[in-house]
Amino acid sequence: MIRLFTSLFLLVVFAEASSCSSSPASRELPLRVRWIRDPETLDPLTQPNENARQGVNLLYQSLLTVDYEQQRFVPLLAESMPSVRHQGARTLITYRLRDSARWDDGQPVLARDVEFTLKVMNCPDLPNEEVRAQFGFITALQPDPLDSRRFTLVCEGAAPELVLASGDFPILPAHYLDPQNKLGAVPLAALQQDSLALRHYPDVAPFVQRYKAAQIGQHPDALPGSGPYRLASWKTGQQLEFRRKPRWWGQALQQTAPQLQARPEQIEFHVIPDDATALLAMRRADVDLYPRMPAREFGRLQADSARHPELSFYTAPSYDMTVAGFNTRSSLLAHRLTRQAISHLFDVPQLIQATQQGHAYRSVGLINPENKAFYNDSLRPFAFDPTEASRLLVRAGWQRTATGWERQRPGQSPQRLALRLSYRAGEPTYEAIGLQLRAAAAQLGIPITLHPTESSVLSGRLRAGEYDLYLRSMTGNPFVYNFAPILHTESIGSGNFTRFGTPDSDRLIKSITTEQNPQRKARLLRRLQALLQAECPLTVLYFNRYQIVAASRLANLQISGLPPGYNVMAITSRPDDSH
Amino acid sequence: MTRARRWGAGLALTWLLLLLAVALTVPYLPLAFSPDTVDLTNIAMPPQVSQFSHPGHLLGTDPYGRDVLTALLYGTRTALLVSLPAALLAALAGISSGSSAGFWGNSGLRVKTGWLVAAGAAVLFTLAALPCYWGSYRMLYLLAIPTGFFMVGGILLQVKRLSAPVPIPLDSLLQACITLVSSIPRLVLVLALAAVVEPSLPTLVLVLALSSWVGTARLVRAEVARVRQLPYLEAARAAGIPELRLLVRHVLPNALRPVKTSFPLSIAGLIGLETTLSFLGVGLPPEVPSWGRTLALVRLTPTAWWLVVFPVLLILLTTLALQQLASRPRG
Repeated sequence: MIRLFTSLFLLVVFAEASSCSSSPASRELPLRVRWIRDPETLDPLTQPNENARQGVNLLYQSLLTVDYEQQRFVPLLAESMPSVRHQGARTLITYRLRDSARWDDGQPVLARDVEFTLKVMNCPDLPNEEVRAQFGFITALQPDPLDSRRFTLVCEGAAPELVLASGDFPILPAHYLDPQNKLGAVPLAALQQDSLALRHYPDVAPFVQRYKAAQIGQHPDALPGSGPYRLASWKTGQQLEFRRKPRWWGQALQQTAPQLQARPEQIEFHVIPDDATALLAMRRADVDLYPRMPAREFGRLQADSARHPELSFYTAPSYDMTVAGFNTRSSLLAHRLTRQAISHLFDVPQLIQATQQGHAYRSVGLINPENKAFYNDSLRPFAFDPTEASRLLVRAGWQRTATGWERQRPGQSPQRLALRLSYRAGEPTYEAIGLQLRAAAAQLGIPITLHPTESSVLSGRLRAGEYDLYLRSMTGNPFVYNFAPILHTESIGSGNFTRFGTPDSDRLIKSITTEQNPQRKARLLRRLQALLQAECPLTVLYFNRYQIVAASRLANLQISGLPPGYNVMAITSRPDDSH
Repeated sequence: MTRARRWGAGLALTWLLLLLAVALTVPYLPLAFSPDTVDLTNIAMPPQVSQFSHPGHLLGTDPYGRDVLTALLYGTRTALLVSLPAALLAALAGISSGSSAGFWGNSGLRVKTGWLVAAGAAVLFTLAALPCYWGSYRMLYLLAIPTGFFMVGGILLQVKRLSAPVPIPLDSLLQACITLVSSIPRLVLVLALAAVVEPSLPTLVLVLALSSWVGTARLVRAEVARVRQLPYLEAARAAGIPELRLLVRHVLPNALRPVKTSFPLSIAGLIGLETTLSFLGVGLPPEVPSWGRTLALVRLTPTAWWLVVFPVLLILLTTLALQQLASRPRG
């Protein structure tokens, strides 16, 4: 009996000791990343902000992805880069999906899923305006009758970037969202072109209702994804936690396909809207990664880096730009010369110095100046010139009076030039720009009131056109030149906040999307930059530089100028500091 | 009153009069910079010695390049423009509601049912329809609501059952309102209200007044209820003095002593609340200079001590002065 008790006691002690020693050793610390705002939704169709895109990419996968280190597209769900054929004005892009690609429930990812996703992206009555404009060039999917994983996308146009763009949307599980294959009978072209598709195809409306009722945006955990992570918890406005799936199809391929890596076991995104609070959290090691730290804080922290050996500092030139947009349908700003005049009131060099510590760079438009082939270097950015602004206002029909600027309108009372500038609340850079513009405009006699607005309210107001001027960030990339979602008339009410669009600009934007020849494309892009500067629906103030601070224990961040500036799935802990 | 107390009261009054003078005359003061001036070449500069030929930033600049001295002087005007009207409005609302409830109680005020129904209908109509049509038919509404009230009330009074007077439970209604407002923390209530309405000076004044009338109402109600029992009122009633006159001429003058004491404290509280709201970036538009907003900018440049010291000094001295004024013995 004593022996039995002794054995049991030893067993318990041994088990306890082994659990104490092995439990922390086997578990990695979660990777804690600062997010400036809540993603609002994780619906792959909407993705209203960059955080939503980042979250969606952890749950779902697209055919191609970006290799952050090489800054090029590489296959993700696709087995290899697609083969491309041209057929008149069309491009035929053939993909084959990886044999091992699986949904969480073990079902294979097939061509049917891609076709289904394209149809959902074009389905009427779903919140898909932006993706519809962005991927409207894909007009059909031809499945391979012999291989359920092979298919060909028929794309309008022949531009080389169509190939990359054709693989850059997250794929949804058809077998789960449409088990009876109701959308299968509806041609993609019908959804794209037929404004009465809901009436002509009675199966579409019940599907739309089911999709909306599923509330994928708020409950993505209910939907099987092909990505390496699942959403473990979401406290709106506070924190999102993603956990790596214990068994994921990509694990076996990580040696040969580094783009399939998913290193952190657990990723926590901490929503901290205020920069000062986020800085404090970084200093107190409450977060491990602070992407895009404001230049002033970054400079101060870096200068003090001797006292912070636990922090590492990274920078990269980015494709992020700070933009001032005009409501071109507002009667005050309908004339392009009025918009040009206001653009002359931004003192951009001083703002770059004051808000970005001189680390940003100017541009004449939406093309990054680093891209020498496409950048229109014959144009000059708007200079800070109140005298020129006055001259332009007079040319636009405004008259200087004792109380400000007025314009006579036939049969109506005189119109007074007074503007409202909207921007995201709590963003010091926008506040600095707003105050500078307000001061310069006040000297000229134009009253401008500042309207810092909560992020989601601002998005709604911009979409509805309830503003005069706005400040926001926009993100470009070096791969695709499709300006339809932000400048085409079809995107008014969704991504085209400025509500700009002329037949000429619409044609030009479409031509750029479809142009294949690099020289001709460069000419078209230069023309677009000139047109945008003349029409001035928006003014690019400057391109930013990414400043990223991370805990020194983190390695392999794959810092780049592409948003979000790092590859969260590649990050590892240094062996010595992992606990 | 002791000599020290007299000195304290004198200093407090001098400081408050100085603030008032600054608030009234600040646009005419010979300041080197206007509140709109943004000097991007001198952002977050520490205090500089000013020279006659080359004016400097005496109290430094904020992270947007604005002169701190100018911002604080104009902030004085903002503090007064916000706190004084808000305190007056709150006092007015508190005195009128508290005195009515204390004087008439639950059964003292009797109104004909017809008028009550008409008033209820007018309130419901206003709440339901006004937000939708206010912009287009403003004048029409302003005329239609009182006209409708009198017409409907007049018609209803013709019905025999609706012409009988019924008591209005003023005291219970006020107690319920006070409990409702007091159950929500003041800052939370103000933040919620400020988030709903567009930021501007009048809306902030209204929001602050809405959250601050409760204390005064409670004080006045208790005091009026006490005075109501005094024998001289019985005599006045016996002499046939109308009720309203009784309340205004004979009760209120004897019941307002606590309000006179609490009024400066209420201003101090409102200055503190406005500063807190500005610190949190809620309430006033960002271009309006305010002590709290200047103080809040230290979050952008934590080493800028001048963004803390000067606004805090102003807030501290003003609050102390108002408290000194409130604690001054009367009579």
